[in-house]
Amino acid sequence: MVRSRLVWLALIAGACGREPAAPAPIRFLHTFGPEETELLNRVMAERRIAVDPQLVPFARGQQVIGEMLRAGVDCPDLIRIDATWLLAFVAGDLLLPVPEALAKLDWTPEAAALGGGHAVPQTVDGLVVVRERSRPAPASAAITDLIAAARAASGPASQHPLGVRVDGYWFMPWLRAEGGELSPEGIDGDGALRALRAFAALFGDVVPRPPPAGSEAPEEQRRWQARELAYWVTGPWQIGVLPDRERLAVSALAGAPRGGQLLVVPRCARRPAEGWRLARELTEVAVAVKFAEGFSTVPTREAALARAPALVGATYRALQASRPLPRDARTPLLFDDLNAALAAVVAHDATAEEAIAGVRRGWKRLSRAPRE
Amino acid sequence: MSEAAAGSRPARPPSSSLRWRVLLALALAAVIPTVTVGALAIVRARADVEREVERGALAHIRALGAALDGTLQDARRTVELAASTWADDPDDASATQRLIKRLKRDAPIVSALSILGADLELRYGDPVPRGVDVGSHSFGGYIGEAHREGGRTVVHLVVQARGRSGEQMGVFLASLDLGFVRDVIANARLGQGARVLVVDGDGVPVASTAPEPDAPDARAEPPGSLAGIDPAVDRALGAVEGTLSANGWVSAYRNLSSYQTQRGVRWAILHQQPEDEAYALARRTTRDTAIVGGAALALALALGAFFATRLTRPLAALARRADAIAAGSAETGPPVAGPGEIGALGHRIEDMARRIAERVELQALLARGDRLATVGVMSAQVAHEINNPLTTVLGYAKLLQEDKPAGHPDREALEMIADEAERMKSIIGGLLEYARTPRQSERRLGTGPRDAPPPTCEVAAVVKHVGALLGPQLKKARARLELDIAAPGRVAIEAHALQQVLVNLVQNAMQAMAEASAAAPDGAAIEIAARPGPGGVATMITVSDEGPGIPAADRARVFDPLFTTKAAGAGTGLGLAVCKHLIATAGGTIEAGDRPDRRGAEFRVMIPNAA
Repeated sequence: MVRSRLVWLALIAGACGREPAAPAPIRFLHTFGPEETELLNRVMAERRIAVDPQLVPFARGQQVIGEMLRAGVDCPDLIRIDATWLLAFVAGDLLLPVPEALAKLDWTPEAAALGGGHAVPQTVDGLVVVRERSRPAPASAAITDLIAAARAASGPASQHPLGVRVDGYWFMPWLRAEGGELSPEGIDGDGALRALRAFAALFGDVVPRPPPAGSEAPEEQRRWQARELAYWVTGPWQIGVLPDRERLAVSALAGAPRGGQLLVVPRCARRPAEGWRLARELTEVAVAVKFAEGFSTVPTREAALARAPALVGATYRALQASRPLPRDARTPLLFDDLNAALAAVVAHDATAEEAIAGVRRGWKRLSRAPRE
Repeated sequence: MSEAAAGSRPARPPSSSLRWRVLLALALAAVIPTVTVGALAIVRARADVEREVERGALAHIRALGAALDGTLQDARRTVELAASTWADDPDDASATQRLIKRLKRDAPIVSALSILGADLELRYGDPVPRGVDVGSHSFGGYIGEAHREGGRTVVHLVVQARGRSGEQMGVFLASLDLGFVRDVIANARLGQGARVLVVDGDGVPVASTAPEPDAPDARAEPPGSLAGIDPAVDRALGAVEGTLSANGWVSAYRNLSSYQTQRGVRWAILHQQPEDEAYALARRTTRDTAIVGGAALALALALGAFFATRLTRPLAALARRADAIAAGSAETGPPVAGPGEIGALGHRIEDMARRIAERVELQALLARGDRLATVGVMSAQVAHEINNPLTTVLGYAKLLQEDKPAGHPDREALEMIADEAERMKSIIGGLLEYARTPRQSERRLGTGPRDAPPPTCEVAAVVKHVGALLGPQLKKARARLELDIAAPGRVAIEAHALQQVLVNLVQNAMQAMAEASAAAPDGAAIEIAARPGPGGVATMITVSDEGPGIPAADRARVFDPLFTTKAAGAGTGLGLAVCKHLIATAGGTIEAGDRPDRRGAEFRVMIPNAA
C-alpha cells in the first residue's frame, strides 16, 4: 500500500516538475496580403497553433518559392501558392501528394479541380462583375451585355462606368469570346487580334483611361468609392476591402478566368505532417468563414460555403460561370508579354497586329526555353 | 483574574486608543484611495507612455521603410525607363553606352548594369553575376534578394526591356548598392541605446545603426541570419508590423514586403531599444507619480494625525472628566471646550455632573431626612409619653412651691424643679410641633384630604400680629421691632406656621442682641421686612437684627435639629429646624446670612405667593 502510494507520488511529482516541451512552430510561407496576414496570425493564436509565418511578395512568389524548394534548404512545412504555379512545382517533383484524409473532405467541385492531388485548395478566385444592388444586372454573362449595361449607366457623373484593368488576366473574357486562349496556340488566329482591338477600344470609351502602372488597384477603388464606376470587373481580393459590402451584387462574366490559392507541402519539409495539419486548420469551416467574412474570400468546402456571407455565395455562383486558366506550367509566364502588349495597344504606342506579333514571338521563345 | 479584581481594575485610558483608532481610520481613508488611484494612475500612465513609445517607434520605422522603399522603387522606375528607351533601338551601341553612363551617374545606387538581349545573352555593360534569375515569370521584372557582393550588400534589379509594341527586346540587370540603407537609417534620430536594423527575407542584416566592425571590406565575413536568434526578427519576417518586448529589448518591426505586393522586396526593418531606455520616460513617470503620491499620502497622514490629535484631545478630556464623575468626584469646573458637537458634549457632561452632584447631595439629604424623620417620630412618642408625667411633676412642684412660704429652704429647689420642668415641656412642645407639621406637607403632595383648600395667609396681618404678640418681651429685652411691609399680599402658608417662624426668628434675634440692647440707650432694633420676590411669584420676608451675626462656619448647620450656639439650657436646638421644616413644607426657602451692612444677622424667608 505504502509502496503504491510512493510510486503514485513519484509519478505525480515527475508530471508536475516537467514542463511539457513547447511544440516547434510550423513554418508557413505565404503570400497573404497585410490584412489577411494579421487575421491569419490572430486566428492561429486563437486556435493555439504555433506558426512561424513568413511573407513572400505575391509578384515574386513563384520565383522565390521555386528557388527555395529546388535548393531544399530551410524548407517551410507549408506554402500558400497561386494555383497557376502548381504545375511548375509538380513538374519539378517538389511537392508531396495530399493525404487521403484531406483529399476526401467536402471540397466544392471548383476547388477540387484546383488541387489536383498535390494541393489543398484554400480559396477559389477569379473575375466577376461587381455592381451596386440598385444597378440592374447585365442581361447575361456575355461581355456585350456587360458593355451595354455600362453604357446605359453612363451619364454626366460617370462617363466611364465600367472598371477593367489593362492586364492579361482581365483580357481573358475578350480573348475567349473570340475563341482564343492563354496559350501560344490560342493567339494564333484572328480572334486574338479582334479581341485585342475590342479590348483596347474600351479604354477612353466605356472604361476609364488606365492609371500609371502600379497604381491600378488603388485607382480602381477610388473610382468605385466615388461612384464613377457602375460595373467593375474584379475579384474577391478587391471585394473584400470594400466598405458597405451589403450594398453590393455580383454577376458572372462569360469566359472570365478562374483560379485560386492552394496550400502545398514541399518534399523538403522537415515536418510534413505538421504542414498538412496546418493546411487542415486553415481550411476548417470556422477559419474559412472568418476569412470569408473578413475578406470575401470564397471558401473551398461546401460546409464553409453554406455558412459564408451571402455576397460570398453569390461570388461563388458567379465564378461557376468562369473557366480555369489552361493547366500548363508556362501559363503564369505568358502574362509578362501579354500585359506589355495590351498596355502598348491601349496607349496607342502600337497596333494590335504589332502587339500580337510580339506576343507570339515572346511565347515562342518561352516554349523553346527549358521547362522548370 | 477574579471578577472582583476585574471590577477593580482601573479603566484603560481611552484617549490613546481613540486617537489611534481615529488615526487608523484617517490612514485607511487616505491610504486606500491614494494607493488605489495612484496605482491605477501609475499603471495607466505607464501603459500609455509605453504604448506611445511603441507607436513612436513604429511610426519611425514606417517613415524609414517608406524612404528605403521609395529609393528602391525610384531606382526601379529609372531603370525601367532606361530599358524601355533602349528597347526602341537595341542595336545602337553608342547610344546604349551613353545610356549606361548616364544611368550610373544619375542613379548612384546602381553600382553595376548588364544589358542582355531577348536571348538572355549579355550584350552591354557589366558581366552578369552568377546565379541571378533573369527569366520572365516576374510581372515584368523584380528586385531580388539582398546579398553580399564585394564587401557590399546589394540587390539585383531585373527589368524586362520592352519595345514600343510591348515585345521583350532584352533584360536590364542592375546591381543596387544598399549602402544607401545605412545612410538613410544613419540619419535617423534615435533614442538612447536605440538602433535600427534592416534584415533581408532570410533575416540577414542588411544595415544597422549599431557600430559595424565590417564596414566596406571585401574580405569581411557576411553577417549571419538573425532568424531563430532574435525573436523580433522572426516576428518581423512573419507579420506586417507590430511590437515585441523580449530579451530586455523593445522592438518595433515592419515587414517591407507589404509595401507593394507586386514589386515588394523581401526585407524587414526593426527599431530596437533596451527596455530600460525605451521605457525610461514611463519609469520616470512611474517614479514621479509614486513620489508625488507618497508625498501627498504622507502630508495627508501628517495632517490627519494633527487633526486627529486636535479632535481627540477634547474627547480625551471628556473621557477623563467622565472617569472622574464615574469615580464620584463632585468637583465642578468649566466645561471641556471643543468644536461643534464636542463642545456641546462638554457642556452636557458638566450639566450631567452638576445634576449628579445635586442628586448625590439630595440622596444624602434624603437619607439624613429619613433618619431625622425616624428620630422625630420616636421623639414625638417619647415627648408624648413624658409630657403627662412631666405635667404632673410640674403641677406638684407648683403646689409644693405654693405651700412653702418665701424664704423656705425648699422653695428655691422647688422653683428650680418647676423651671426645668417648664423648659422640658417647652422642648417637648417643640418636638411635638416638629412632628405635627407633616400634615401640611401631606396636603401639598395630594395625600391629604382632597377637598381641603390650600392654606394661605396675609403677610401684613401675620407680621403685625407677631409684633403685638412679642411686644412685652421686646420691651423687657430693650429691643424695638421695626416693620417694613412692602408686600402685604397673601402667601401660600398657614398663618400659624408663618407666625411661629417669625416669632422664633424674632426671639432668636432678641437673644442674640441682649448685649447690644443693653449697651444702646434706645436698645437695638429688629426689622421685619416683606417685599416682592424675584419674578413676582413669591414674597421675601427678612428678619434682621443688630447682633453679632452668625459665624460663616455655622450658617450651614443652624437649621439642623438640636444644633444650637446658645449656652447650655438656653436653647433647645429645635427652633430653626422647625422653621426650616415649616417653610420647606410650604414650598419656600429660608437661609441665614449677614445683613447687607454686615452689622448683624439676617434671615431671608421666601414663600410662594398665594395663587
